[in-house]
Amino acid sequence: MNMKFEHNRFGKRLRSMLKVDFRRMFTMPLFYIMAGVSLVIPVLILVMTTMMDGSVSVDPTTGVETVIEGFDNVWQAIGTLSGEGSAMSMDLTGMCNINMMYFIAAVFVCLFVYDDFRSGYAKNLFTVRSKKSDYVISKTLIGFVGGACMLIAFFAGAMLGGAVAGLPFETTAGVGGIVMCMLSKIFLVGAFVPIYVLMSVVGKQKLWLSLIGSLGISMLFFMMIPSLTPLDAGAVNVILCLAGGVLFSVGFGAISNQVLNKTSLV
Amino acid sequence: MNAIEIKGLTKNFGAKQALKGLDMTVPVGAIYGFIGENGSGKSTTEKIICGLIHPNAGQVRLFGKDYTDADVRANVGVLIEEPGCFPNYSVWNNMMLQAANLSIKNPEKEVVKVLKTVRMEGAASNKYKNCSLGMKQRIGIAMALLGNPALLVLDEPINGLDADGMRIMREVLTDITKNYGCTVVVSSHILGELEKIATHYGIVRGGKMIKEMTAAELDVSCRTYVALQTKDMNRTKALLACKYSRVEEDESGYIRVYDAKEPEEIVLYLYESGITVSEIRTDKIGLEEYYIDLMNEKEVR
Repeated sequence: MNMKFEHNRFGKRLRSMLKVDFRRMFTMPLFYIMAGVSLVIPVLILVMTTMMDGSVSVDPTTGVETVIEGFDNVWQAIGTLSGEGSAMSMDLTGMCNINMMYFIAAVFVCLFVYDDFRSGYAKNLFTVRSKKSDYVISKTLIGFVGGACMLIAFFAGAMLGGAVAGLPFETTAGVGGIVMCMLSKIFLVGAFVPIYVLMSVVGKQKLWLSLIGSLGISMLFFMMIPSLTPLDAGAVNVILCLAGGVLFSVGFGAISNQVLNKTSLV
Repeated sequence: MNAIEIKGLTKNFGAKQALKGLDMTVPVGAIYGFIGENGSGKSTTEKIICGLIHPNAGQVRLFGKDYTDADVRANVGVLIEEPGCFPNYSVWNNMMLQAANLSIKNPEKEVVKVLKTVRMEGAASNKYKNCSLGMKQRIGIAMALLGNPALLVLDEPINGLDADGMRIMREVLTDITKNYGCTVVVSSHILGELEKIATHYGIVRGGKMIKEMTAAELDVSCRTYVALQTKDMNRTKALLACKYSRVEEDESGYIRVYDAKEPEEIVLYLYESGITVSEIRTDKIGLEEYYIDLMNEKEVR
């Protein structure tokens, strides 16, 4: 007796997995909490720093006075102009901007994948699906969409915060530059997410390992974000970030696939 | 054709060798009772069959194809340890997610069908985390049944259940074998329950398969014995021990004589010694006792 089994094509397999993952993402509180946090953070940053702008803090031990400088305009929370230098400044405006969302995306991806392994859902999944690449692709796409949503939420929050704080909206970058900047940042999420997915499949049920690994490795690339995605970005920046996203997705995705193929899944 | 064919399966966890060249054959359509003590390698074997861990050596074939074959694996249902469900989702939503994963056409109808099979149709709206252990095990089986799998692997589905839970589970497993026609591999320590449903058995010890047989072969292998009661049990036992090589007192207070040909022979022998038998019957040892005997035999060797 010969048993014949239906052949499931790659497209069908991926479609069903994406359907499940998107349904999960858009029904889980974690996504909305993360998106909410991404929306609220810029409002708080812009309003608080504007309120404290120019105030002086004194170190009680050394007596050194520091003048707190707030944002000059709303767009500083989104990016810096390429003429302002490619290096990332380590002051308040250089650190507390949209680039923080790459770390929020890391937390989101790690928690999402951790939930798969902790609940045993991954066990169900890998029993009926021997192709681990489906899983890696699906998680990468979910992470990408989730990360993009957070960047957009931050952008919206920055606009809102800027309006509330009464910061100017003028910039020399122009609307086109800002759109290209946001597109570059969104595509750059594609370069970070495969790292998070890799660290998450390495860590599996060890969330701390996934988080430390993801944040640690992404820190290495974090300094490059301002120069790759300036506020006055052009098509070259977008293409560069897109290419980087694809390259990292393929490279780190292949490593994640190997990790899943070679290690225990329970 | 065999549903599962395993040859020389070896798995090491660091320095510990969990499987030492295990062989296993499960025919298509069988309900295979997979028996062994804790740490004997049952769960490791099942996890390898399901592709959750990878062997160090050996061959695993499912329905004649390598166990990594995507098309075959799409037809395996599994319940290993706990069901893979999201605790904050309802039973229905968890089932629908798995149905979507399997690309099942008309998933609502299929989910209703499997929930009915496991007697859980009334609990579909319950949150998974609020379900009892017995309910969770049945949800796990329902999930494994989605898509009408050709092979169902159930790891200890009965353990930890109360008497009523066990009864329901037994009914569910019987229904599955009747209505789904899939091959089932079920491991359990509760051999009395397993005996009621299994058609084939595999007994594993120390990472090796020590015995594989059908239910009919088990029936032949299970020795008959004579169980009796008298008013003077101690003297009876001593007397019988002089004549027969294996005489034991069981938990229910009967003396068992394993190598007596006929009960009349014992009655006569005891009567001649001045003992009247108040109750006597012939019986067969069950799977549990057969298993214990087999384990003892192997230990002596």
